[in-house]
Amino acid sequence: MAAAAGSSVSMRVRPCLYANRISSLKSFSLPNQRSFLSFRVRPVPTRLRVSCAAKPETVEKVCAIVKKQLALSPETVVTGESKFLALGADSLDTVEIVMGLEEEFDISVEEESAQSIATVQDAADLIEKLVEKKSA
Amino acid sequence: MFPSLLRAYSPMKMRCCFQRSICSASSSLVPVQLPSPMETHFWYVLPDQVKSVSLLNQYMGLLSPIEKENVLSMPGHQLQKRALLARALVRTTIARYQINGHVDPRSLKFKKNIHGKPEVVWQSEDGWCQPHLHFNISHSSSMIACGVTSNSRIGIDVEEKQRKIKNNVLAFARRYFSLHEMEYLSSISDSEVQHQEFIKLWTLKEAYVKALGKGFSAAPFKTFTVQVKTDSKRSFVLAEDLVFEASEIMVESLNDPKSLTSSWQFALLELAGSHYAAICMEKDKSIKVGMKVPVRLTAWKTIPFVEDECVSGTDAVMPIGGLIKL
Repeated sequence: MAAAAGSSVSMRVRPCLYANRISSLKSFSLPNQRSFLSFRVRPVPTRLRVSCAAKPETVEKVCAIVKKQLALSPETVVTGESKFLALGADSLDTVEIVMGLEEEFDISVEEESAQSIATVQDAADLIEKLVEKKSA
Repeated sequence: MFPSLLRAYSPMKMRCCFQRSICSASSSLVPVQLPSPMETHFWYVLPDQVKSVSLLNQYMGLLSPIEKENVLSMPGHQLQKRALLARALVRTTIARYQINGHVDPRSLKFKKNIHGKPEVVWQSEDGWCQPHLHFNISHSSSMIACGVTSNSRIGIDVEEKQRKIKNNVLAFARRYFSLHEMEYLSSISDSEVQHQEFIKLWTLKEAYVKALGKGFSAAPFKTFTVQVKTDSKRSFVLAEDLVFEASEIMVESLNDPKSLTSSWQFALLELAGSHYAAICMEKDKSIKVGMKVPVRLTAWKTIPFVEDECVSGTDAVMPIGGLIKL
């Protein structure tokens, strides 16, 4: 499973950088670098197999929505660890971002959960939880 | 808008309006007396007016190491400047009140209460003297404001009047505001007016939640209604003061109708023609339930260490909601 996950990660070209536990295994240097090399060099933490961290595509989509809402310049680096407040979002921005996410992922976020979202990763994780609940 | 009323100003008020303290950058802050009960001091700075690099460096020198780190971690010069001015405004404003003698803005320590609301940590030698100064800050991209009271919880929020809302206003209101508020907004046919009323409601709701100081989850927006009753719209001279009664603003909790929402008082202002500012403060305990007492407001536009301009009573500060005494 790890190898499959690794190969799918290394093949993608990421438009936005993110500090995701899965992606940290991949080196950012050459996109055509063979994936299994990075696995040999670095041990795979066992927690990844039961990872509750959101998929990279989810994190990417959140980054895009955040950048759009906050009108950030394309060069601004937004990662999973980025805090909304640290990106210049105020409370109205945060609420608008959550609304944008609800629309994009067709989910409904409870107000209390929305308020506990501090980083892009938090948002992505919550989205995946809600999407999973929906399809369950 | 109120030219005839400005003529009614007493000499005392005029003095305040035209008082400008212009100090050199290295001089100390002009001290101010603590606000009296039911009085709010409102200080604001316009980032676009602060351009001097040496002044910004001076502000940076006031910050704690953690604050400096937070400022520098913001992406981009504009956001860094905004974060810097916010901390500089809070520190210099509180230092003006010179409680326990001269206070160096650098020496102020802050903490967050258990719900995350920032508070000053007062350090006194005997540990007994606890000043009852309360403050709250808010910033939009073009204005940073700090409200100060004595002995009364306060929350403020400022927003640009023209702030763009990405989502449809009614969809937003349906999702986040109370039913009554959503119905009120739906009843407005002009989209520009609807947008303005939306922003006003947002600032009032934000100010209330921030005044409560218990975090957003203690009062989710959907669980309370802010009502603006506009049947009374007048201004009159009361003794030597000018009182504006633009409307009555009340808050009602939907979950807990018995909660003491009547102990909160609101003021809504239009600032510098470009912003709405909402102030929510706790009524003084001595005021009987049902008694209408105005919020006394003194507002300054400031560039700390450079210039303080008392603007309450000028066109820069227009009361548009609540019972306000300038």
